[in-house]
Amino acid sequence: MIDAFSYLFMSWLQPELLALTAIGTCAGIYIGAIPGLSVTMAVSILISFTFGWQVNHALALMNGIFMGGVYGGSRTAILLNIPGAPAAIATALDGYPLAKKGEAGNAIGLSTVMSVLGGFIGIIVLALAAPTVSEFAIKFQPRDYMLLAVMGILLVGSLSGESLAKGIFAGALGMLLGTVGLDPMTAEQRFTFGSVELMNGISPVALMIGLFGVSEALNQLHSLHLPAIRQRVDKIIPSLADVKKYLPLSLQTSAIGVFIGALPGTGGDIAALMAYDHAKRVTKEPEVPFGEGAKEGLVAPETANNAAVGGAYIPMLTLGIPGDAVTAIIIGALFIHGLNPGPLLLVQKPDMFWFTVGNLTLANIFLLIFGLTGIRIFTRIIECPKGVLLPLILLLSVVGAYSINNSVSDVWWMLGFGVLGYFMKFYGYQVGPVVLGIILSRLMDDNWRRAIISERDSVSDFFFNMLASPLSATLFAAIVLILISQTPFWKKFRAGGSAVPKNG
Amino acid sequence: MIGKLMGAAAALALLVGVASAGDFPDRDIQGIIQWGAGGSTDLVMRSVSPEAEKVLGRSIIMTNKTGGVGAIATQFVASQPADGYTLLMSAENPQLYKVMGLSNLDYGDFYPVNVLARGVPVLVANNDAPFNTIKELVDYVQANPGAVRMGSTGPGGLPSVVGGMLAAETDFKVTAVPFDGDGPALTAMQGGAVDFMPAVLGVAAEHVKAGRIKVLGIIDEEASPILPDAKPITADYPEFKKYLPWGPFFGVFVKRDTPDDVKAKLVEAFKAGAEKADFQKLLSDRGYVLLNISGDEADAFLRKWQSTTAWVVYDAGIAKKSPEEFGIAKP
Repeated sequence: MIDAFSYLFMSWLQPELLALTAIGTCAGIYIGAIPGLSVTMAVSILISFTFGWQVNHALALMNGIFMGGVYGGSRTAILLNIPGAPAAIATALDGYPLAKKGEAGNAIGLSTVMSVLGGFIGIIVLALAAPTVSEFAIKFQPRDYMLLAVMGILLVGSLSGESLAKGIFAGALGMLLGTVGLDPMTAEQRFTFGSVELMNGISPVALMIGLFGVSEALNQLHSLHLPAIRQRVDKIIPSLADVKKYLPLSLQTSAIGVFIGALPGTGGDIAALMAYDHAKRVTKEPEVPFGEGAKEGLVAPETANNAAVGGAYIPMLTLGIPGDAVTAIIIGALFIHGLNPGPLLLVQKPDMFWFTVGNLTLANIFLLIFGLTGIRIFTRIIECPKGVLLPLILLLSVVGAYSINNSVSDVWWMLGFGVLGYFMKFYGYQVGPVVLGIILSRLMDDNWRRAIISERDSVSDFFFNMLASPLSATLFAAIVLILISQTPFWKKFRAGGSAVPKNG
Repeated sequence: MIGKLMGAAAALALLVGVASAGDFPDRDIQGIIQWGAGGSTDLVMRSVSPEAEKVLGRSIIMTNKTGGVGAIATQFVASQPADGYTLLMSAENPQLYKVMGLSNLDYGDFYPVNVLARGVPVLVANNDAPFNTIKELVDYVQANPGAVRMGSTGPGGLPSVVGGMLAAETDFKVTAVPFDGDGPALTAMQGGAVDFMPAVLGVAAEHVKAGRIKVLGIIDEEASPILPDAKPITADYPEFKKYLPWGPFFGVFVKRDTPDDVKAKLVEAFKAGAEKADFQKLLSDRGYVLLNISGDEADAFLRKWQSTTAWVVYDAGIAKKSPEEFGIAKP
């Protein structure tokens, strides 16, 4: 036990480790904030860079980058409407409207505090319940992942704005775009027209940068004559009363984040979107409607994606199974450093586990410090003249799209989707469902086929086994309930027959 | 201004001209990794390169260019000048591109700077599966054709090839469920989504040692020190000898028409990298067998691999085109 404690606080007490964690967290925030530069990329570069280091030093830097990077995506999402990573898409939905109202400082402050809160909850679950959670997480079968994806696609309802029909159209477009490329199951080429560049499919990140960032820049060309919005910077750190108010919601969304993060097939992006949807469903009377700057819409995804960090470490440290793309690379790093990441790691080297828990906690504290400093300077970015700001957004988008996979074709896609996004917005289509569709397309497609192949193509066996498995049956029931709860019939029933049915 | 630019361009052209003539390398080298960060290929390349960089006196800037079962990276390197400044850091996959209809390239278009190592496949199963050895598996599958679910990584991947070999030698009908890689498939097997799967030793070993899955046997002629209890497949099925040794491999390649002195320098550098004790320990810990071969020896290895594997996948009905079309000899 004393050993465990000494490892827990190891990175707090050794100045080198302390410094590396701080550097990692700070760098992570900026890497995360630049769209296209991802934590996955940064950590994989660090594998070569830290080749000759001690394993704890390398880990301290990587843990910091991971924590900081997941949070960093919210910066550009709030300030410029360009999510730094897919995990920050939901943050942009209500964060950017806040910035438009001149409350960017407040929004960043709140998202920082809530990210840290979510991060802590993730770490606590990791420390206290890791073996239980991971045993449960690996029970998820292809069929359950498919049901999860179906649940995710219902989010189109939350993201489609004024018209559900247009939202469904946009979501379907995203799912169609997600099918482009080499089919991983059969190596069959789908919609590639014989082009090698298309074999890898259309990058969801390129699509996201285009639809959000470039289309926003194009849109703003209409309002060049308007002065930039003055940002209020007096109230940055959210009041205790605010934190208290959002505490129940953030506990729920953190739980969603930890669990979705711990599932080996899903990560922070899906966690954040599901949390956003959850917030929208449980918040009966937001101060401002969702999509126009509701604080709940900011709190939910930000707690969830940082809670997913702790979640992702759960199967990694207990079973050697990565919880997401970043932990997959950290497993590689451990292996290069002579450790054998696997189910025996926890038994043979429990110090690794406690070191990681302690180090993530430390990174989370640094996140609070670095996150809350410098907000004033950041908010100045959107106060600069549009003649400077808009070319800057375009430059950032091009660099971001290129760095996804060092490919110029991603830049073309990004620009193309930028133009498409501009016209979509012009005609009242939301771009969120397109990104949702492309993210969930593979998850749903692959897992449905895995599930039905396992049943030897028998649809009746599929349904029978789905209802026979408690896990699948629960997920299925949840989907049915969510659907029914949105019908006018149910709303009438709930309101005792007096309420006017409202489109959801 | 324009004069200056022209000057710079001329200097650059001169630089490139000099580069191909001698003194290789006079600038940093690009290493294009065919698979994603954190995967086996990525890890092997990132561990062998530091020593090779020392010999070359320049950095190797490594980039992951994934997609199309590695065809995108392969195509990219093929489109670069044959000057040795762009290396293809890759695995076995290009040897099947032609029969899978993915690309017209294979390692015939590249020169093997170093084929570093090969992996050894094992058969592993869910702990609850009603078979404990390869023989029991085959008997069970024969008694219940199509009912056993095999974890796979898509056509042309290691599980599909081993499954193809089993199907060629025994009456072996299983339902293959494809996953995104051997890691996700092993995870799914622990959850019970599939019953057994062929996997590379290094990836499966830790899970076997921890008792989370069981090993049925090893697809090699000898047992491995990593999992000494895994019985070689040839013990029960000696007819498998003709395929062996077989396994996925990793190598560093340049375009075939790269100048000879450049090839020689690269061969020297990666030989030094492969001989480093750290690197060899890393491989053996992970159950990989060091090959460290280049030039003609590597070409012979690559040709044998291609002929064995292409015909197995073709006979198993996985390949789209016959190896005959491309002049790949029958083993």
